[in-house]
Amino acid sequence: MKPIEEAIPVVEMRNIKKNFGAVQALRGIDLALHHNEVLGLVGDNAAGKSTLMKVLSGAYIPDEGEIFLEGKKAHLSNPMDARRQGIEMVYQDYALANNLDVAANVFLGREVVRIRLGPIGVMDHRHMEQETKSLLNRLKIDISSVRQKVERLSGGQRQAVAIARSTAFNAKVIIMDEPTAALSVAAIDKVLDLVRELKAQGSSIIIISHRLEDIYQVSDRMIVLRQGRKVSDTPVEGDIHEFRERVVAYMIGARDDFREKTVAG
Amino acid sequence: MSFINYAQKMVRENIREYGMFIALFIIMMVFAITTNGLFISSRNLVNLVNQTGYIAVLAVGMTLVIVIRHIDLSVGFLAGFLGAVAAIAMVSWHLPVYVVIPMILILGIVAGLFTSFLVAQLGIPAFVATLAGWLGYRGALQLITISTGTIIIPNETFNAIGNGFIPDIPDIGILPGVHKLTLILGLLAITLFITNELITRRRMQKHNFEILPAGIFTLKLVFVSALIGGIAWILAGYQGLSWTAVVVLIVVILYDFITSKTVLGRHIYAVGGNPEAAELSGIRVKKITHVVFASMGMLSALSGILFAARLRSATTVAGTLFELDAIAAAFVGGVSAAGGVGKVMGSLIGALVMTSLTSGMNLMGIDISYQYIVRAGVLVAAVIFDVATRSQGK
Repeated sequence: MKPIEEAIPVVEMRNIKKNFGAVQALRGIDLALHHNEVLGLVGDNAAGKSTLMKVLSGAYIPDEGEIFLEGKKAHLSNPMDARRQGIEMVYQDYALANNLDVAANVFLGREVVRIRLGPIGVMDHRHMEQETKSLLNRLKIDISSVRQKVERLSGGQRQAVAIARSTAFNAKVIIMDEPTAALSVAAIDKVLDLVRELKAQGSSIIIISHRLEDIYQVSDRMIVLRQGRKVSDTPVEGDIHEFRERVVAYMIGARDDFREKTVAG
Repeated sequence: MSFINYAQKMVRENIREYGMFIALFIIMMVFAITTNGLFISSRNLVNLVNQTGYIAVLAVGMTLVIVIRHIDLSVGFLAGFLGAVAAIAMVSWHLPVYVVIPMILILGIVAGLFTSFLVAQLGIPAFVATLAGWLGYRGALQLITISTGTIIIPNETFNAIGNGFIPDIPDIGILPGVHKLTLILGLLAITLFITNELITRRRMQKHNFEILPAGIFTLKLVFVSALIGGIAWILAGYQGLSWTAVVVLIVVILYDFITSKTVLGRHIYAVGGNPEAAELSGIRVKKITHVVFASMGMLSALSGILFAARLRSATTVAGTLFELDAIAAAFVGGVSAAGGVGKVMGSLIGALVMTSLTSGMNLMGIDISYQYIVRAGVLVAAVIFDVATRSQGK
């Protein structure tokens, strides 16, 4: 039997509902993420996956429903608040300042201060550069210098920096929104390797992707959303063809594991 | 890697930063030759520095405004208006200079916060908001000087800021006719620079960070020391360091420190590079906008003080076109119109380049119409250089 702490999910979302005017974007979704698990979140456009993750990252406040972090009820009022509580989001367009170097981006908004003179904090450049260096080494990210400006990096390297940045401050959960959407095939493999590396080092990750093979390669479990509802919550198993057929069946509405529940509710 | 290869690599990677130093150097050399040395005479260089002063402080503030993707057109007439307020405060209200200067600087901050309120809170484009400021401050300047015309400022302490020189230590028999305090300050600056570089280098070495090869490092030390020494020597040959130069140096060193070493500076550049990412990282973009425009307002006030002190008076047209000179200086100094890129030191050099062109061409007796065209060419060349080196970097 597992110890009790491990049995408590790191994130639990219960009955999350969110409307935009007349549009019911989320119609009561339950989601649990366990420690050291990679959860794939799949669905067609407008299925609600991005909205659900924006709720978890504090960008949207849900109309109904509750969020628990390690068993404790959490209130996430904005992205910064969610971040402070250990929820890190990696955005599709990286959300990096291209004019700054790698170390500056990793520590953006959380700079290490050496001396504080009233409102003016003098940064500890050396400390931040060393931390960034060892972070990149630990995650096996290949970037020659932490002083390189982000605008000089390739798309894959930028995504790696964005992911590294999300792990730098003891995040409880890392959400990746389409981390491979803008990348070349070679860069995609590197990002997927990085996801595996993070899992090996104990991270808990939710990954949104429209590329089913990405989900298949790195995820332990998969949730399919359709029209604002959860229609499937199953382990990732079997061969890729079977997996793909199964997922597509859920995505287009041919299969639905939670239909009865909704009718009953 | 050999010395030459490394030097080539360094120049390639840092051409953007060294480019304007090289440009300034070439411009000065050309004028030195065409004016038979008159241009680099002590007297002319001191004059050049004093002429650059009131534009340089504006260019420093403008750098940050452009870095966060805004513009401020109101700074010229704001400077003129606040200069006139300073004159009236001393002449009509009989306030002592030590009250007037802080008061004017605070008024500048208030004016800057008014602009940033329009820009950050109400979302009015900075171009429009500050164009309104340009009109408003112009009107205000004319209004307060309408009954008096030009106001003569009789206060010598105030006027010294624009015309005076730092005092010398008493004559001790050596180097007669040379401003010794200026030389001592020059030596002090060199010593500080070298010790600081050595300490940084040792610390970097200890922590296995990339450092310059010993040859290049020595070359850098020698070059910068010679530069500081040379300037100190030339200035010491006339009346020494002017108060304007002291003010500009303090402003540039302070702003250079803030932009490169502090969290505030880092956040200013982050907002310029990617406002959305900055906001998501918990940086309050509005707060940064307020700080940057407030600093611009304060520096406009300082510019107004420097200009009024230099003319020993407040005129009805003070500040005309200062804003465009400051913007041009910033662009020549490597600030990118796209935002996020540009250094305070660069804008100082940019201001020096523009004033050098005016001063040099005046000495050569070139007609003012050609002067404008030449300066236009330099501005365009600087921006082309900026665009070219940027796309190369990618």
